[in-house]
Amino acid sequence: MTKIDTHSDPNELLDLLLEESTLKGAERFHRYPERKFFGYFCSYFPEELILAAGLDPLRLFPDSENSTPAELPAYSCSLARGTLDMEIREQWQDLVGIGFTHTCDTMQCLSGIWAASGHSKTIDIVPPVMLTAQGASRYYQSELNNLIKELTALTQQDITQQALQDALLLCAHTRNLVTELDTLRPNLPSPLVFAILRAGQLMPRADYVKALEQCLPALKDMAVTPHTRAKLLITSAVLENDSLFTMIEDLGGRVVADDTCSGYRHYSGHTLTESGDPLSDIIKRYSGMPSCPCKNRSLNERISYLSGLAKQRDAQGAIIVIRKYCEPHAWDAVTLAETFRNNGIRTLTLELEGANVGGQERTRLQAFIESLSEAPELSKEG
Amino acid sequence: MPDAQSTKHNEHAKKRNYRPLVSTKALQKTMGRYYAITNYHRYWGKPLRRPLAWVTSGAPVELLRAFKIHSAYPEQYAAIYSARQATVSLCEVAETAGYSQDLCSYARSNIGGVLRPDLAPLGGMPKPDLLVACNNICGTVLKWYEVLARHFNVPLLVLDTPFLTGELTPQAKEYVLEQLNAMAVDLEKITGRKLNQQSLAEQMRRSAEITSLWKETRQYCQASPSPLNAPDLFIHMAPIVVLRGSQEGINYYRKLEAEVKERVKLGQGAVNNERIRLVWDNIAIWPQLFSFYKLFAEKGACFVTDTYSGGWAADHAPGTPMESLAATYTEVFLNRSPEYRANQLINQIRDYKAHGFVMHSNRSCKPYSLVQEVIRRKVMRETGVPGLMIEADMADPRAYAEEPVRNRVQAFLETFDDLT
Repeated sequence: MTKIDTHSDPNELLDLLLEESTLKGAERFHRYPERKFFGYFCSYFPEELILAAGLDPLRLFPDSENSTPAELPAYSCSLARGTLDMEIREQWQDLVGIGFTHTCDTMQCLSGIWAASGHSKTIDIVPPVMLTAQGASRYYQSELNNLIKELTALTQQDITQQALQDALLLCAHTRNLVTELDTLRPNLPSPLVFAILRAGQLMPRADYVKALEQCLPALKDMAVTPHTRAKLLITSAVLENDSLFTMIEDLGGRVVADDTCSGYRHYSGHTLTESGDPLSDIIKRYSGMPSCPCKNRSLNERISYLSGLAKQRDAQGAIIVIRKYCEPHAWDAVTLAETFRNNGIRTLTLELEGANVGGQERTRLQAFIESLSEAPELSKEG
Repeated sequence: MPDAQSTKHNEHAKKRNYRPLVSTKALQKTMGRYYAITNYHRYWGKPLRRPLAWVTSGAPVELLRAFKIHSAYPEQYAAIYSARQATVSLCEVAETAGYSQDLCSYARSNIGGVLRPDLAPLGGMPKPDLLVACNNICGTVLKWYEVLARHFNVPLLVLDTPFLTGELTPQAKEYVLEQLNAMAVDLEKITGRKLNQQSLAEQMRRSAEITSLWKETRQYCQASPSPLNAPDLFIHMAPIVVLRGSQEGINYYRKLEAEVKERVKLGQGAVNNERIRLVWDNIAIWPQLFSFYKLFAEKGACFVTDTYSGGWAADHAPGTPMESLAATYTEVFLNRSPEYRANQLINQIRDYKAHGFVMHSNRSCKPYSLVQEVIRRKVMRETGVPGLMIEADMADPRAYAEEPVRNRVQAFLETFDDLT
C-alpha cells in the first residue's frame, strides 16, 4: 500500500483513494491493523464524536445488492438487507461498534433487528426530525451527551473537550478540502470525484486528509480542460459504487452537482469551530447542513436548496434516483421533478434496485442525455 | 375501523361461523353522524369558527379538540376506500402522478382521492384548513403531510416524537412538551382562540375514559370463548380513533362494553365452537377483511386480541394535561423497540391464553413490519407457541396473493389439530 507522507507521489495517492473507494473497507484489517474502526450508516451520525473517541468512522456499504437475510422482508432496501447479511456473516466483527441514527423508518428498524440478531455492539442516536422545532437544539445536545457516554463506555476512554475540538477541526478541514474538490467537479470526470468522496468515508480520516491535500494540486491541474458535456445534477440516497456516475460520463454527461447521501451531501454545510463549545458547533452543523428527505427544516427548504444548486451550477438536467423501497427519497421525487421542470431543467427519475445500473438504465440515460445535448439552451428558455 | 363495512359485516357473520354484535347498529349511527358532520364541514365550519384539520392517527387530538378544531383522519378514510374496493383506482391516480407503488397505500389512496375526489367513496375528504402530523407511527406521515401542505397551501404542524430505543428519556419528554406548547401557540393564531386549560383537562378526562372503556371491553376477550374476534375489533375501533375525547364515543363504548360483558356471562363466543385462540399483529387486511378471517373462523380459530387496535387501549401517562399528552403520544407502541413490542405480544399471548399468533407483514407499513421476524422468533422462543407470517398490504389488494396465503394458513391451522 502507498505510504502517505509529504514525499508521496500525488498520482499514487490518487490511486490509493480510488482503491479504497472500491474496496469499501474490506481490507481495513490488513491495511490499518493499528486502527480501530466504528461503523455507521447515515451522514447524521456525528463522525466528530467517533473521532474524538479515538476511533475511525467507517461507513457501512453492502457487498451485494441481492442479499436476502431472513430477518428482513424482501420489501426492504438493498442497503439494509446487504449490510445486515454481512453482519450475520460476521463481516463487521472487528468493528468496535456500530452506530445507528434515526433517519428513515428502515434505519430505525434495522437498529433493533441488528441488536437482536447481530454480533456487534450497537449504539443509537435519535436526533430531532424537525430540526428547527421548539426545543430541538436542547434535545439534540442531550442526545449528543448520551452518545458521548455510550462511546466512552465502549472504549473505556474519556472523551475530552480537547479531543472533541481536535475532531471538530479535522472534520472541518476534511469538509473544506472536499468542498474545494466539489468546485472542480464540472471539469473532472464524475466517477473520479464521486469515488474520492466515498473514500473519505471508508479509510482512516487523518490518512484521507493527508492524501487529499496532496492530490488536490494534481486534480486542479486536471480540471482545466473545458468540456461540452451535458451538465447534470444528481440527487439520491446512498450509492455505494460509481456505476451510475461512470455510465453518465460514458454517455456524454457530467455531474456538476451532487446531492447524494454518500457523495457531497455527506460533507456539505458550514462547520463552525470557534465557539469554544464543540457540541454546540456540531449541532449547528448537522442541523444546518442541506437536509436529507428524512429531516425537515421547513416545508420547502430542501426543494429550494436543490433548485438553487441546479441554477448555481448551471445544470441542464437533473437525475432523481430512487433506490427501490427508499420511501423518503421517493416522496420528494415528485415535488422535486415538478420544481425542476418548472425551472426549465429536464428531469429523469430513475428507480434502482441497488447502486448498479444496467442495460435498461443505459437506454433511458442515453435518451435523456442526448435530449439535453440537443437542447443546450434549455435552461435559459425555461 | 371502517363503519361502512359494519352492515356487510353482520350479513357475512350469519354465513361465516361468527356471531354479529347488536352494537353494530349504534356504531353505524355514531359513525354515520361523524361522517355527515365531517363531510358537511364547509357549511358549518366557518360560521362556527371551527377549522377542519386532517390529522394522523397518532396526533394529540385532545389538544385540537380544546381549540374546537374538527379532525378528520386520512388513514381512516383510506381504510374505508379499501373496504369499498376503491384503493386500486385511487392508488393508480397517485402512481400516475409519480408516487411510487412502494409507498404506503393509505397515503397513495388518500392522494388519489385528493386528485380525483370523484373516484373516492364518500366523495373524498373535505378540504382541510390545517394539517397536524405526529411521527410517532412512522416517518411516512411527515412526507405525506408535506405533500398535502404543498397541495392545499395550508399550515402544517408536526409533532416530532423521538423514537424510543428504551424507556422515555427526560430529554425526549421535555422536547415533545416544548413542541406541544409551541403547537398551542400556533393553534391560538390559527383559530383565534386562547387555549382553555379547563377545556383541555376535560378533553383529557374524556379521552382517558374512552380509552378505559375500550381497554376493559378488550379484556373481556380473555374469557373462553372470546366474545370478540379480530374483525369485530377492527370495525369497532373506529370511534376510539376519530372520537377520542368525545361524549359520543364514550356513550358508544358503554353500549359495546355492556354487550360484550353479557356475551361473556352467557358464554357466547364470537366464533362458534372456538377451538384455537390466536393473537393478530399489524393493521388489518382491509380489502380481505371477511374472506381472510373466514379462513380461520371456519376452523374454529378466533383472534382474541391484537396489537393494532390495542394501540388505542394504552393508559394515559400521569402529569398535567400537556405532560400527559407528551408522554402518552411518545410512548405509543409503534414508536418503540422490537424488544418492547415482543414483550407486549408475549404478555398478550399469556394474558389471553393464546395458542399461537399471526403476523401480517404489511408492505405499506415498514415500522410495523420490518422488525416482525425478530419479534416472531423471540415470542416463539419465550412462549413456545407458533407464529405465522403472512405477506400482504393493509389496503392495496394487488399485494395479496390468495392461494399462497390460503395454503400457509391451512398448514398453520393444521398444527393445532390436537386441540379440541
